[in-house]
Amino acid sequence: MPYDDLRSFLGTLEKEGQLLRITEEVLPEPDLAAAANATGRIGENAPALYFDNVKGFTDARIALNVHGSWANHALALGLPKHTPVKEQVEEFARRWDAFPVAPERRADAPWRENTQEGADVDLFSVLPLFRLNDGDGGFYLDKAAVVSRDPEDPDDFGKQNVGTYRIEVIGANRLAFQPVPMHDVAQHLRKAEEVGEDLPIAITLGNDPVMAIVAGMPMAYDQSEYEMAGALRGAPAPIATAPLTGFDVPWGSEVVIEGVIESRKRQIEGPFGEFTGHYSGGRRMPVIRVDRVSYRTNPVFESLYLGMPWTECDYLVGPNTCVPLLKQLRAEFPEVQAVNAMYTHGLMVIISTKKRYGGFAKAVGMRAMTTPHGLGYVAQVIVVDEDVDPFNLPQVMWAMSAKVNPKDDVVVIPNLSVLELAPAAQPAGITSKMIIDATTPVAPDVRGNFSTPAKDLSETAAWATRLQNMIAARH
Amino acid sequence: MTDKLLEGTECPRCPADTVTRLATSPVPGAWDVLQCTRCLYTWRTSEPARRTRRDAYPEAFKLTESDIENAIEVPAVPPLRV
Repeated sequence: MPYDDLRSFLGTLEKEGQLLRITEEVLPEPDLAAAANATGRIGENAPALYFDNVKGFTDARIALNVHGSWANHALALGLPKHTPVKEQVEEFARRWDAFPVAPERRADAPWRENTQEGADVDLFSVLPLFRLNDGDGGFYLDKAAVVSRDPEDPDDFGKQNVGTYRIEVIGANRLAFQPVPMHDVAQHLRKAEEVGEDLPIAITLGNDPVMAIVAGMPMAYDQSEYEMAGALRGAPAPIATAPLTGFDVPWGSEVVIEGVIESRKRQIEGPFGEFTGHYSGGRRMPVIRVDRVSYRTNPVFESLYLGMPWTECDYLVGPNTCVPLLKQLRAEFPEVQAVNAMYTHGLMVIISTKKRYGGFAKAVGMRAMTTPHGLGYVAQVIVVDEDVDPFNLPQVMWAMSAKVNPKDDVVVIPNLSVLELAPAAQPAGITSKMIIDATTPVAPDVRGNFSTPAKDLSETAAWATRLQNMIAARH
Repeated sequence: MTDKLLEGTECPRCPADTVTRLATSPVPGAWDVLQCTRCLYTWRTSEPARRTRRDAYPEAFKLTESDIENAIEVPAVPPLRV
């Protein structure tokens, strides 16, 4: 059953034992961020956190770590909470094929209940803002779905973009904004600034759980995130018209902030602890003037902690990075079985593939680097055989330890492109990239002594089921 | 909130004395949110010393006036199309 808003999903998380209410009074800093940071240090099925007793606030409701475990990610997609990661990614890929699913426009958006406009806008009165990491320059909105349109083609629904970007609150009605040059909103902003115009923008907070997943997904410029949300939900995504910009925004948002990116203006921003596990910042970035805020009565402020992985961010963008790479590789190489691109948004990926002939696995690795996402990521590729599960890291380590002859199977290519945030790049934006071919060589590549592999016994699968049933029957 | 400068308050990061109050706690007296108008560093007065006091602020995150003035633009402002 798809969720139309954050609140209904929080209800399911609570029913499934995947939401923890912290009712004792906590400090806004460092408690909120430290608790969310800690969810990544207590095992794989950590719950979402809900705070409503925060020192100094009278009316704060804060949800953190909503997507921050495999159980929560499964529930967000409407799957049973114990669904294995590999199955979640496969189901994600299967639903992708239904794209595009047209959204459903609704009139009665709950965020129309309350409004602040013009000089009355005060984000601090609507949102219980707080700092995440010690070196952060301020308080951030880091889980928003941000909507903008192509100024040269404002009526094209597909070119309307929904993305997640880092946003620093620098005033009661002012925000600093980071459009990474390779992201769609940066193209919208460039077109507006070339003609000296402001770029209208709508920032939506506290969305249904699939909206957050598609907003962080690497999609083509003219593909609609709402139509992808419909495919992943298995039902049209509910949208509504934002009152000031006229943009299409999620019907179920907790808060909708509208305004403009002020043309040709830059101000100091950051730093901000990023998904790479390192800070970036101290640069001059675009600024937003907020002209209108619409919000539900008693809004829930949703945020995520990010820093040294793993954090909620890694769960949120893990599967949604694997699937585009899998689809793009399979389009040319149907031998590709699975792609694990869950490490730092795909800076490192693991690919399992059948081998068409000798040398094929290295070709698959090179192709991964030249996909659209690969141009900015995919600095390291490990290629494994079709019977190795790339999501099972002990199996991957076995393949590397047993199959790799480093002199011939490790290939390093110098001076390729990578996103500027990649900490190991030198200079920023340029890196070498590496393929580790951990597949079994096939003819005419006849290296090594691989003729007699020890496979699982043919009766093992049946025994595994029998043992699991016996174990289950004991309880 | 007011743009009035808070006298005698120093930015922990840059360390200008151009600090204003951005917000104050709904529960009176719990905390204020302050901001340096030069480097835009924003902090809550109830945060630990490592985020609120110049003498405890981490060296790695301190900014100088020239850091701010020489910061690169990202993305760069494009040429105007005429």
